[in-house]
Amino acid sequence: MITLILPAVFIGLLFHGIHRKVIARIQGRPGPPIWQEILHTLKFSFKQTWIPKTASMPMFVFIVAVSIAIWTGAFYIVFSGGSLLLLFAVFMLHKITEHGLGLSSGSPYGKFGAIRSVMSAASEIPLFATIAGIYVVTGSLMISDITRYQEIHGPLLIGAFPIAIAMYIVILSKMHYGPFSIIEAKEIVSGNRTEHFGVWRAGLEVAYALKTFVLLAAFVLLFIGALPWYLMLLAMLIVLISLSFVCAFTPMLSPFDAVALQTVITGVLAVYIIVLGVIG
Amino acid sequence: MFNLPIEGEELFVLEFGDIVNYFSLYTTTLFLFATAFIIIAIIARPERQTDIVFGTDAVYIKDVNQENLRFQRFMAIACGLATLGAVSSGDLFNFSLFTALIGITNIGIVAGVNNRYVLNAAYNYGIVAMVATTFLFGGAATALGTCGTLSIWELAGLGMVPLAAKMFLVLGVMGEGMAPFYIAKAEITRAPGAPYVLMIHVSSLLIFLRVIEIILTV
Repeated sequence: MITLILPAVFIGLLFHGIHRKVIARIQGRPGPPIWQEILHTLKFSFKQTWIPKTASMPMFVFIVAVSIAIWTGAFYIVFSGGSLLLLFAVFMLHKITEHGLGLSSGSPYGKFGAIRSVMSAASEIPLFATIAGIYVVTGSLMISDITRYQEIHGPLLIGAFPIAIAMYIVILSKMHYGPFSIIEAKEIVSGNRTEHFGVWRAGLEVAYALKTFVLLAAFVLLFIGALPWYLMLLAMLIVLISLSFVCAFTPMLSPFDAVALQTVITGVLAVYIIVLGVIG
Repeated sequence: MFNLPIEGEELFVLEFGDIVNYFSLYTTTLFLFATAFIIIAIIARPERQTDIVFGTDAVYIKDVNQENLRFQRFMAIACGLATLGAVSSGDLFNFSLFTALIGITNIGIVAGVNNRYVLNAAYNYGIVAMVATTFLFGGAATALGTCGTLSIWELAGLGMVPLAAKMFLVLGVMGEGMAPFYIAKAEITRAPGAPYVLMIHVSSLLIFLRVIEIILTV
């Protein structure tokens, strides 16, 4: 499993590059090469690293390590068929790392990113709706059981389409340049990551690459089922490109609209799950 | 209860009669996360907050009152310890108790700042947290009245706990874990955030994660 982490990081970074390329092409720009994010990460790894005098140490550094650790754990959970509830926990803990990044630097821009991160906590609610829905349909929260269920009953993408939409929105809320990316909006520089440069930024890029890889893999496993690795990667790529289309066509929402939209989606899903539970 | 396909494998069980404290892969993850942040709260130097002078390019660094910081650190550590209790408890009453304690310590962390706006936020949050305590203990009491036990281990998989009790527990945790929203209102922009304010977010999210596990299990 550990030997798979490195390829997952590289594929995740490549996905980020493809994401930027697709958005650029849709918007009529040439865009960067698709390996740009890999080069970025390598570049940051060798750039001068510094810690602001105002930072809370060792929190400033620790939070980067936590970010990498939780997504490495998530990778293990998804590919060992572990509990979906644990994946949900990782997703929530990621929110704490987002807060921590912004709060630990002492920078006002980082702090504004952290505040927006608190406000956008609604992005976790659709994931809870996903988990509840999957539990109602399959009777299990173990990813291995859910993939086995799909081998017998067919993909949940067809059988439980609204739940797949909820998970899709969860992934969309974590994509760069997306409608819900309010914590890294340009009016607050780089938001909660403003002060993390050099090797700290490289660490964050690695963590976020793993995050993208894990979330896309989880989507494919949960709603299409277990596939051979090359088909799995292809399915993840298709999901990613569809997300890039949404990001390219949708303006960034205001913090209020982002929260309101995610809450409405969760409300609709709650009704769907209750109906599903009652009829089922 | 580990036959239930919810939270992964069993790691450790400690029995006190029918009250069984247990560590699954899930609760252990939460426990370790809280432990790491307690250590950080103990050893970390607080941030020196900078702010922008409106209408100019200037920034200034705020002075931090050492006395207040010591109080915040104490409250943050207490909050972390209460979180450890909440994520490892195998009993609905103890869970409610630790969650209420988290609410109290969160008020303490916010109230440790001498600023009118921050204290106002602490006051508002305090009212919400106190109201939430009623729901929290109401949920546990309803479960006890209906099932005759508060042990999560005993209740696991039986589906005996009424939906109303589960809803009370969730409402209680939502009230106690509401702190980050009050913090965002005033505290973060006017007071040093790391590492003490971060403990509020850690505890709030962890009790939210724990209550989800509990309502799915019982």
